[in-house]
Amino acid sequence: MTGRVIVITSGKGGVGKTTTSANIGTALAKDGYKVVLIDTDLGLRNLDLLLGLENRIVYTIVDVIEERCKLKQALVKDKKNPNLSLLAAAQTRDKTAVTAEQLKEICDTLKEENDFVLVDCPAGIEQGFQNAVAGASEAIVVTTPEMSAIRDADRIIGLLEAKEEIKSYKLLLNRVRPSLIKSNEMMSVDDVVEILSCPLVGIIPEDTGIITSTNKGEPIVNDENALAGKAYRNVAQRILGEEVPFLDLDEPKGFMAKIKNAFSKLKAKV
Amino acid sequence: MGILTDLYNTVAKFFRPQEESEDASKSVATNRLKLVLMQDRTNLTPKILEQMRGELIDLLSRYVEMDKELLELNFEQEGDQVALMLSIPVIRAKDEEEIEAALNADKDAEEESSEETAENSDEMDEEAVNQQEGDETPKVSAPEEFNKNEGSESAEEQHVEA
Repeated sequence: MTGRVIVITSGKGGVGKTTTSANIGTALAKDGYKVVLIDTDLGLRNLDLLLGLENRIVYTIVDVIEERCKLKQALVKDKKNPNLSLLAAAQTRDKTAVTAEQLKEICDTLKEENDFVLVDCPAGIEQGFQNAVAGASEAIVVTTPEMSAIRDADRIIGLLEAKEEIKSYKLLLNRVRPSLIKSNEMMSVDDVVEILSCPLVGIIPEDTGIITSTNKGEPIVNDENALAGKAYRNVAQRILGEEVPFLDLDEPKGFMAKIKNAFSKLKAKV
Repeated sequence: MGILTDLYNTVAKFFRPQEESEDASKSVATNRLKLVLMQDRTNLTPKILEQMRGELIDLLSRYVEMDKELLELNFEQEGDQVALMLSIPVIRAKDEEEIEAALNADKDAEEESSEETAENSDEMDEEAVNQQEGDETPKVSAPEEFNKNEGSESAEEQHVEA
């Protein structure tokens, strides 16, 4: 078996790379695929927290590279889903502890026995980015509808284009706020796609549920009712090659919003 | 009745979707972002753009009299292609004698400033533009017609492939 290695990157920090990695990984594993998540953010690891695995980490990626353990020993199985495992970043070391070749070797080994290897990339465009991208053949560029995040995403797309090994890259637009788009205070999905001219793989609405899910160490895809969870499950389906329509985020969700909506429709008729 | 109408208007206003305004921060962001991304993608800094603008004014003013203040140099994106748009408000075209005089004046100035004799001052300036543009040779298409009436304005647009 040869699995797919996908790097999740963004340039800018705090746009949701790690949340995206945790959720796509969990969603794919729920569908029965074998998935390994690699946290390459040495010194600033967080993927373990989002998965609720922080107390189970014994060995890290640096231990594997410095041959203190076997690669298999360093993989931490998810609590709920045996299909999902995590290769954690070392918290006490920096980016120089790993080279691009070493990371590529780890990806190459892992894709032999897994359907998906998802690489959570650190912010920035320096060595950490170069390392994370080294073993990947696909990329997901995470951005938000803000100027600085889009500018950084553009830079990342430029760098990915220059890499021969990256065969395809897609855009994931995170933290979209339909109400702000409606009032012209936020760039719309179309605006962002036009500016970056990059195909979309997902639109994730801003969802306060993300905060509680992080608090609990439980990716939001496990919450059947959360809109962001549904959006991430759709992303997983699109990665698997299915054509899933993008969520209609204009639909008001709350009780009050529904009344408001009904009233404005009524008013339109009058 | 008056109270009822007021009440209706107040309530209706609350439910009405916000109207689009020209200066909505979204369009400001989109425009600023487009410009900054063009600069990022082409590696053209504002300083280089300003220099390019100056040199183009020097070159073009040998042939036409134009409103230098209103000359605009912008980027536009059509698909993957980035185009450099130069918009020049032309006041009038110079006649042959004036062009000759301008060329000679430039030639003299160059001879004075450098020891090397410039064979054709035109070529010198084009080379300077080439350096700004990188590897690709810019295709500056010469405006075919000028409005020869003095005082009237016409804008000629030239496309430079970036």
